[in-house]
Amino acid sequence: MNKAVISVLGPDRPGIIAAVTRMLFEKNCNIENVSQTILQSEFSGIFIVVLPSEQSLADLHGYLEEGLTPLNHHVFVKPLEVTGPVFTMARSEPFVITTKGPDRKGLVAAITEIIARYGVNVTNLQAVFKGGDDPNSNIMIYEVDIPADIDQQGLYTDLRAKATELSLQISIQHRNIFEAINRI
Amino acid sequence: MLTEREILSTLEMLENEHLDVRTVTLGINLLDCASHDLKRFQDNVLSKINDLAGGLVKVCDRVGNKYGIPVVNKRISVSPIAVAAAPFSSSQMIEIAHTLNRAAQEVNVDFIGGFSALVEKGIAKGDRALIDAIPEALAGTDRVCASINVASTRAGINMDAVYLMGQKIKRAASLTARRDGIACAKLCVFANIPQDIPFMAGAYLGIGEADAVINVGVSGPGVVKKAIDRALAADPRMDLGQISELIKRTAYKVTRVGELIGREVAANLDIRFGVVDLSLAPTPNVGDSVGEIFQSLGLLSIGVPGTTAALALLNDAVKKGGAFASSHVGGLSGAFIPVSEDLNISESAAAGHLTLEKLEAITSVCSVGLDMVALPGDTSD
Repeated sequence: MNKAVISVLGPDRPGIIAAVTRMLFEKNCNIENVSQTILQSEFSGIFIVVLPSEQSLADLHGYLEEGLTPLNHHVFVKPLEVTGPVFTMARSEPFVITTKGPDRKGLVAAITEIIARYGVNVTNLQAVFKGGDDPNSNIMIYEVDIPADIDQQGLYTDLRAKATELSLQISIQHRNIFEAINRI
Repeated sequence: MLTEREILSTLEMLENEHLDVRTVTLGINLLDCASHDLKRFQDNVLSKINDLAGGLVKVCDRVGNKYGIPVVNKRISVSPIAVAAAPFSSSQMIEIAHTLNRAAQEVNVDFIGGFSALVEKGIAKGDRALIDAIPEALAGTDRVCASINVASTRAGINMDAVYLMGQKIKRAASLTARRDGIACAKLCVFANIPQDIPFMAGAYLGIGEADAVINVGVSGPGVVKKAIDRALAADPRMDLGQISELIKRTAYKVTRVGELIGREVAANLDIRFGVVDLSLAPTPNVGDSVGEIFQSLGLLSIGVPGTTAALALLNDAVKKGGAFASSHVGGLSGAFIPVSEDLNISESAAAGHLTLEKLEAITSVCSVGLDMVALPGDTSD
């Protein structure tokens, strides 16, 4: 089975997904997973597809590029090795780390450096920086999986220290709280 | 994936609005400690409480840290001592109170409730012994709380018990005259006492409950007030129906927190989960006031005309939200009006807006009647 990952990037407008999926259908590909995000005015989509054995990746790439260039979109294609995840995660708990504060360069890098150093994986990130000093305009929300066997207190201490250094308000909460409160 | 709105609004509640789990109360059934021998009874009680409650404080702190929501108080409630210790005399009851006090100290909880009797239809021997012991028992211990049920809807009001309790309150106050009459702060006289209240001083473990149970009391008057303020700032023309809906949803969220934490504490201790009591219970801290909710609703102050209606609306919305949030809602689940424990309410009383008569009137719509009201020590019998 040939699997591929296709990434599409370009200005958002109606019709992009329709165009991509039409072309995939025409090439006899089956879509397994799609995820799509819009940031400011840019569209980004990731498609995991299964190609028929006689379909070459290069040919598919060319076909997609030809169809998407008029829409001003870039396409990136690579084969997907069916070997499973690159890292293994021990037992972990889901947490949400949120920061608010004045905008400056290096905020995401600083926080994610600490998160990565402790072997914590970010499963979802939303960040908006509207600039200026109003903390409500510059927010980072990291949904993370914190493994049970790391030094959790050390992680929290380092995060809080870094937040103070960057004048950020930081909060670290277990995900269950957000679900319990907001979902029925 | 959580939405930004869900995350930010939850954090606002947790960080700025004094949302906390006010109490986790472990209910312990002492009926199997029964003995006609006082020393045996005391030993049984001490050992059962130590066995079951030894890990309570540690587990509550751990779960509180995990979720970043403090469990402010850890407490114990026991079977009504008038029943569990029925054969004993008054002076022996006082000794039992000291045993309960010691048990509370050993497991590091700040209050132990259940020095209680249920006398709505009549006063039995054990009940009388306990009632007579109350003033000395509460004056001589720090952590013991007592509650007496003198009336029920079915049985009516036991007027003899009411009169008796009036005398005991006075005696308890005079025994602790130099300590602000503190003994009275640890005593509740009830009509229709719920058998699973987690809050002190009324907490006791009723007959018909399991051997051990975890009951949770959540509070959050600050959360409710801020929610009302925010909504009215966004839309000043909100009507009472919409405000009621808002309070109901807020009550839902607060109750969910209590349920989450309570169930995890219970699972960790391997004790069954009992109920969540969602009561708006204020503290003297700024921003943690029930009185301020009335002001947010548009009243000058709690106690002025309109108070009873506003309280009825508040109570109704809180109960509805709580009931949807949890299948196991119990205790009082309403608004508390503890005059001297809420900065805003005590100011209102001082200014003359809130009187005893008004407090009596609002008892008709809210479970908690005269709560932490200071009376002159020379009030006659």
